[in-house]
Amino acid sequence: MKKETVVAIILGLLFGGIVAVFISLKSKDIELSKNKVIPPLKEKIVSSNLTGVEMKSLELTEPANNAIYEKDTIRFKGIVSKDSLIVVQSPIKDLVVKNTNEKFDFEFPLALGENSIKIVVYPKEKQFRPQEKFIKVYYIDSEL
Amino acid sequence: MKNAIKNCFIVILFYCFFTNSIALGQTPSSTASSSPSIVVDKDIQQLKDKVANKVLEIRRQNNKAISGFVLSRDGNGMKINSDEVNQVKFDDTLTKVFKVLGTSKKEIKKDDIEKNDYVIVSGVVSDNTITANIVLIDENFLVDSGKITEINKETYNIKVLTSDKNTYSLDIETGTKQYMVNIKTLLKETIGFSKLKEGDTVHFVVKKTGSEKNNTYSAYKILVIPQEYFIK
Repeated sequence: MKKETVVAIILGLLFGGIVAVFISLKSKDIELSKNKVIPPLKEKIVSSNLTGVEMKSLELTEPANNAIYEKDTIRFKGIVSKDSLIVVQSPIKDLVVKNTNEKFDFEFPLALGENSIKIVVYPKEKQFRPQEKFIKVYYIDSEL
Repeated sequence: MKNAIKNCFIVILFYCFFTNSIALGQTPSSTASSSPSIVVDKDIQQLKDKVANKVLEIRRQNNKAISGFVLSRDGNGMKINSDEVNQVKFDDTLTKVFKVLGTSKKEIKKDDIEKNDYVIVSGVVSDNTITANIVLIDENFLVDSGKITEINKETYNIKVLTSDKNTYSLDIETGTKQYMVNIKTLLKETIGFSKLKEGDTVHFVVKKTGSEKNNTYSAYKILVIPQEYFIK
């Protein structure tokens, strides 16, 4: 093979390589510019965000724990979130109430002696945990 | 010290009341007039009422109630397993003992109180001792709620996990009152054991005797809130 032929082949290969590298780089840029990043839907973000929902914790203003009463009925008074389901249970009574306002006030019967009472509030927003309170009140008849 | 001051106050009130009564009581005879007598009677009555109300108020302020199982008995008192106060002292003239029978009560003697009885004591507390005015012998109930985690249809037993991570094993007997909340009307409906499902929320009442093992109780009453209420 002649010397000129060898030089021509080497130069041809070099030129071919340079052109190939240039084309592959250019095609990548074109591909990247064509692909678009799809952002998440705004609606979905809003629906999963719970920080805007107001949650009132259970406040029981009446009756007080370990209180002694001379009557066989008491009133339960307090504050919870609107539209919560309130369940009050004692050995003699089960009460299920849905409160439309934040404040609640209802009558509850007492048995003679010790009354163990549990109050559980299930918020309207089901993802929130229920709130509970346990109290003991005593009904000691004044005539005893 | 506080009680001593209160007792002194009561004594002074009584003293004032009696000295006033005597002093005022002499006035009508000396004047021999009818109209001042009526005024004096009214004053006496008002003073009497004031003293009575004050005594009642002081008694109410100091009055406390505790409860627990009787650990031991002695002649003039007993020891109970209450968290706050555990020594109970009887007063020979003041202390009355009753046995609660459902909605009624029956007076019994102090000697009828036995070890392991569940008692509710009302009286004045001083130095970890309560001087009993009234002792009621009753049943001890436990009221709690949680989620049904297991149902055994052969033994009629359910396992309930409470929010404070306690697991109760409840035997549903023929006498157990079983209710379910209607999720549309929110009214209570009587149900049978077959209606219970794992995942339901249950509010329960059990009688505690003090001799239970492995947190297993015979259920006195259950109220179920079906899981459908929480997914509607």
